[in-house]
Amino acid sequence: MRPRDELTERIALHRREKLGPLSESAYRELVAAVRKDPSSFLDDPSDVAFSVLVDALDRYGKRMSNEEALDDNQWRKARKERLSCLASECENALAIDPACSDAALCQTLARNPFADELLASLFKLEAAAKAHNQHLYSSVGKDAWADVFAHGYLRIRAAIARACINTSRYRMAEKVCKELLATSPQDEVGARYTYALALARLEDEAGFDELDARGGRRGNSWLHLSRVILLYKLDRMSSAKRALCGFSHLVEGGAYALLRPIWVDSYIPDRPEEHPCSFGEATLAVHEADPIIVDTPDLIAWAESQPEVARDAKQFANARGFAW
Amino acid sequence: MPYDPHREDYLRLSLRFAHTLDNQTPDAAEHAFANFGRRFARERDSLPQTDSDRAFRLVADAAVLIDYKLPFTPPEQADDIAVRGQKLLSEALSLDPNSPDANRMLAASEQPSFDAFYSYLKVRVDEVRSYCEKQRSLMVQDENSQRTSLAMNITMRPYMRWIASMASNAVICGRNREALRLWAKAIRADPADEAGVRFTVALALTKLEDEQGLDKLVHDCRPLPTSRDGLDPWTLLCRAALAYKRYDLSAATAALKVLISNYPHACAALIRQRELPDGVFSRLATPSMSEDELIVAVSECTVLLQEGEEENGRGPFGLWVADQAAKLASPWELDEVKEAQRQVDEFLAHEREEDQSGNDEGGSRR
Repeated sequence: MRPRDELTERIALHRREKLGPLSESAYRELVAAVRKDPSSFLDDPSDVAFSVLVDALDRYGKRMSNEEALDDNQWRKARKERLSCLASECENALAIDPACSDAALCQTLARNPFADELLASLFKLEAAAKAHNQHLYSSVGKDAWADVFAHGYLRIRAAIARACINTSRYRMAEKVCKELLATSPQDEVGARYTYALALARLEDEAGFDELDARGGRRGNSWLHLSRVILLYKLDRMSSAKRALCGFSHLVEGGAYALLRPIWVDSYIPDRPEEHPCSFGEATLAVHEADPIIVDTPDLIAWAESQPEVARDAKQFANARGFAW
Repeated sequence: MPYDPHREDYLRLSLRFAHTLDNQTPDAAEHAFANFGRRFARERDSLPQTDSDRAFRLVADAAVLIDYKLPFTPPEQADDIAVRGQKLLSEALSLDPNSPDANRMLAASEQPSFDAFYSYLKVRVDEVRSYCEKQRSLMVQDENSQRTSLAMNITMRPYMRWIASMASNAVICGRNREALRLWAKAIRADPADEAGVRFTVALALTKLEDEQGLDKLVHDCRPLPTSRDGLDPWTLLCRAALAYKRYDLSAATAALKVLISNYPHACAALIRQRELPDGVFSRLATPSMSEDELIVAVSECTVLLQEGEEENGRGPFGLWVADQAAKLASPWELDEVKEAQRQVDEFLAHEREEDQSGNDEGGSRR
């Protein structure tokens, strides 16, 4: 999510509604002015609430980056505090606009409920988002992402897909991802990544190939990793080995991320942005694949026993000063 | 019925013995057979048997030690039992180097991982089939066709157990489609599926969330003499899991209710979710509709109960099952349910302590 960009666009659109039709250049000037000083254009309550959320997410991000130097106990305490602050700041946003679906989503995620409870809460959020914003969700023939006011709903759906994976509901995850891709082929919420993992887990090779082809065979950490998992589960070990070497070569630090997984914090409100095939991206893919990898108990040991892969991982660790 | 090693040993020797009585008068045969039980128990060496029969007796003894004694032995005695079991298997192999059961059981303890054991089994499966088919073809065809057909069935059992081992190992490894492929092999070799491979296949279908596949499996198995018509604990737990996975929690509860009403002490077993090692000889033989059968099924369903984001040692489905079992317990079960919960809490606290000491030594969030 790009909170400030979305805030700017929301405010500008609301302002344009009030002013009447504007030329393209006039609208661009309006957007620039809003971006420079959003608070002087805030009047719509939904934008005020969104602005409160944006500030809350800003503070949340800053608190997280200040936790680097803490020891484990201090960090656990700091994390609990930051989540609690975010939850109550979201409450403030919702007091201004109960229909602010992003604030509701962030609040739910910040409360850190366990898997099944999270999924139940997300379904309620989805229903509420739909009820509050009926007109927003019937974007026939155009990509839903084009409407900034629909972003919150799409993020909730993406969170539902990920929660389905975490509660071992892979066909449900598949269904939600398919619907998301149909609603927004642009897929800014990365439904196809969750979809790839679900297909690998369900050992659906045909489905996986189709997804890969639809994406123009543009590899990224999720697709490369899912291919390894899929082929391993199908007991096609030479192909799985090639896919694993592919993951290790094409994804920066992919081998290290897989063999020495790094703890990844909850996505609030959605998956952090990382460059394709970067180490950061690899850590996210490995984190999301974790329930599936654990369900395939010997996969990591097999990966580590491939000399090329173990060597790549060690070299990466040494280069970055990471523990091995 | 699952395979019982000592019962099979008895069957092998009694068939061989019965064959030697064919040319005797009915009176003499009856007298001789009346003594068989005593001789089997106390003078086994006096009975007609091959090296392969002697080897099988050692396999049966090893099976009882490893599958029935070892899981319930205190840790300080466990190594001793395991070593005794392995010695028996090695001795069996010195008498009958081709014994598929002895080879497979020894490999189970020697292979370093599930994956390695699966490869071991896969590479040799066709060889095992050929070997068993050859033994079957050597069976003397006699006038008693029932006896012949039983003798032929017994020669194929090591292959059936090999397939069953492969299927259950495949599911543990996360290779569910591989397990489904093995079903075709299993049913071809033994249309009655005495090894109960169908229950492992039910698990694989559930992992792949193939509800239609499970319906078809239950339907296809209905005519079998050992059909449980979908009321066995594996299928019922699979039904509950499938309903849970499609977020139909009332259907999932309904499946659990059928299980709870048909099996004794079911609520406590569903709360404990005890994980036992799989039988190395074959699935543990337990009476149908018994608590022991339910415990074995729940243990095999670990692949369903522990999957997903873990909390308190369970996956979301496992937590949900334990929760429902506590809610559905009848008043007279409340004490044992409480005790089961207490045991689980104690176990988790112990695990957390061990984790904590591991973390103190250097594990961290980084």
